[in-house]
Amino acid sequence: MTTMQLRVTVNREPRKWSIAPGDLLLDVLRREGFFGVKRGCEKGECGSCTVLVDGRAVNSCLMFAAKVEGCEVLTIEGLAEGDRLDPIQGAFLDHGAAQCGFCTPGMILAAKALLDKNPHPNEAEVREAMAGVLCRCTGYIKPVEAVLAAAKQPAKRATRKRQPAGVVR
Amino acid sequence: MFEQVEDFHRPASVREAVRLLESGKGRARIVAGGTDLVVDGDSTVRALIDITHSGIAYIRKRGGSCAIGAATTMAELEESRIIRGLGGGILARAAATCGSIQIRGVATVGGNLANGSPAADLVTPLLVLDAVVVVADAKGRRKLPIAEYLAVRGARAMRQSLLVEVTVPRPLGRRCGWSFQKLGRTALDISVVNVAAGLQVDAAGRIQWARLALGAVAPTAIRAGATEKNLRGRGLDAEAVAEAAEGVMREVSPITDLRASATYRREMCRVLTRRALVECAAQAGCAI
Repeated sequence: MTTMQLRVTVNREPRKWSIAPGDLLLDVLRREGFFGVKRGCEKGECGSCTVLVDGRAVNSCLMFAAKVEGCEVLTIEGLAEGDRLDPIQGAFLDHGAAQCGFCTPGMILAAKALLDKNPHPNEAEVREAMAGVLCRCTGYIKPVEAVLAAAKQPAKRATRKRQPAGVVR
Repeated sequence: MFEQVEDFHRPASVREAVRLLESGKGRARIVAGGTDLVVDGDSTVRALIDITHSGIAYIRKRGGSCAIGAATTMAELEESRIIRGLGGGILARAAATCGSIQIRGVATVGGNLANGSPAADLVTPLLVLDAVVVVADAKGRRKLPIAEYLAVRGARAMRQSLLVEVTVPRPLGRRCGWSFQKLGRTALDISVVNVAAGLQVDAAGRIQWARLALGAVAPTAIRAGATEKNLRGRGLDAEAVAEAAEGVMREVSPITDLRASATYRREMCRVLTRRALVECAAQAGCAI
């Protein structure tokens, strides 16, 4: 099988990976240990595999890995800075906006793409931005409330300590 | 799924892309956003040609026309002031309905046309805007009216050609009206039926020309030529709208599939055509 080199920045760290020309970004990220990128429908319907490529939310299941050559990819693992959670992550905790959590990385990253571009969205804009991520348990009200709450917080004050792994508040 | 792919090319020009397509001997595929190609999962593909670095992602005013590069994304169409100002912004409105933000950020104009779905959301607005498609192959470039492109798209002779641009003449004149209407099962779904309309009325309120296009109700999106002709020269009133809405039902040939029955689709053609013409009338300053 032929291979090619992929140079990409993932979560602010430059990487050089060997990939097959037909590899999909979802498969490569999971192979490299980024399990926060969830494998859902693999048809671009559910949004669980959402990552940011150069700041834009994309379905990694529909993107050939070779397309992110030279790009910056952000997965949920790269959202917290050290042990400081991103304000959106904090708001999801505060609002109980996750249940099984499978869709949560996609939800949070879709919200991040929105807030980076439009820091003060209205509810319709939040719903529009989140529409590409399906949740089968909690529903959408709490995630939407969490994103609106995150948008209200001044960016500096919003950071908070990361919870120890496995602890659910 | 694409384990058999041996090469991933990133041509820096249309010429190079076309050369790669030709040397792929039918086993090379163009990829831009990939949102249709990956879902299709064609295991015969041996080479991928990524045209997003080939200089065909642009929206430009050119003379009296607007030129849209084939690799322009839905998101770029939605956000473009040129596209929002063109023909009542129906192309921007249609682009905004093409799936989720994740899809619209990468899906392209060229892909929406070249994939050939009868439900493709950009096709009906482009039909009423009288768009022309520019296609390149090893012999050079040629222009095709969009309806002709839809008819020949799947032909063997087209397999080694690349859709490079869509050109839309800028509609001129006063008292024009435009509309795009889509019926989907959910907000992100592909169309069960979509309708685009454009028209112009004269000072006396008579219709000078009308264009109606319907999607997902025939093997390709179609113009409702007979209904358009019947509207010409008439006053734009409730009776004309009702007759046209009935008229399109006779011009479509919908099928039954998992999204809707043929009967329902035909009925929705009437409903969406009426809504479209009512919106056009309001823009053209005719009270209905």
